[in-house]
Amino acid sequence: MSLHSAQHPSTTAAQDATTRTRDWLIASAAAIVAIIALYAMFFDHGTLISATGDYLHEFAHDGRHLFGAPCH
Amino acid sequence: MSTPVLPLLGRGLAAGGAAGLAAGLFSLLLAEPLMDRAIRLEEARSHEHADAGAAAVQHHEELFTRSTQHFGLVVTSVVFGLALGVLFAIAYALVHRRDPDVSPWPRALLFSGAAFLAISLLPALRYPANPPGVGDSSTVSDRQGLWLAAVVIGVLGMFLVWQVYVRLADRSVPVRQVAAAVTGVAVLAVLFALPGNPDEVPVAATLLWDFRVLSIASHAVLWAVFGVVFGALGLRAFSRAAAPAGAVPVS
Repeated sequence: MSLHSAQHPSTTAAQDATTRTRDWLIASAAAIVAIIALYAMFFDHGTLISATGDYLHEFAHDGRHLFGAPCH
Repeated sequence: MSTPVLPLLGRGLAAGGAAGLAAGLFSLLLAEPLMDRAIRLEEARSHEHADAGAAAVQHHEELFTRSTQHFGLVVTSVVFGLALGVLFAIAYALVHRRDPDVSPWPRALLFSGAAFLAISLLPALRYPANPPGVGDSSTVSDRQGLWLAAVVIGVLGMFLVWQVYVRLADRSVPVRQVAAAVTGVAVLAVLFALPGNPDEVPVAATLLWDFRVLSIASHAVLWAVFGVVFGALGLRAFSRAAAPAGAVPVS
């Protein structure tokens, strides 16, 4: 990055700042999705998608036990 | 030119998918027979209770067949790998933000090793995995809180040890290493100060031991494959960027 902006200091400084912000926003969004996925698999007890039963819990049941997540 | 975080995110997802699949297949092959056995024993136990006239047969309605749950194990493992890959990539980008693409191979291995220790091994030492049939539904939210606390202590503890080591950079090597080790011991002390798992474990000792070893082994497979793939992809990007002499690295 430093090499690049040294070549075109005036035009790229602002662009760099915008892309940096954009990239970190994408990364934050990905982190939120990742945390929701972890919650759904390892912590949920029928609150996320199921009105009738612990579908997520039962589907991820063996994975919970194997990776050490507390289970019923 | 983009910041290094997006290519790292891509590497994290690729490495996480591969690692999750490897750990899923590993455990499908080795841990599922144990879990099936544990479930049969649990059913036998609850039948005995029912015959003895015990009030509640604790076992719940089955929503899925065992083979669907076997498949669910692999899916869970892959999603676990992908989610860890995203978080790993962001942490890696933050820690190495000054020079993100220098020596990607040793860094990936070291970082994966640290992640295994913080996220997998330390929580597993405090709250070892239990096979199906162990676990009281009335204590599950307490146990979830404790498990989460153990993972958080693992991650924060790893961060703390690293910070101690980095911030004592101008001291002698023995001082830095002893300080980092003392910090590590303090983290372990905090971890083991957490209250123990309240549930009783009505499972044969050999089954329990085998299951716990396989649980840790699955974590280890996951992080080993993760580190190797993440490092190899980093190495490839590094050499591609270096190949055209004098060109701006496009990573």
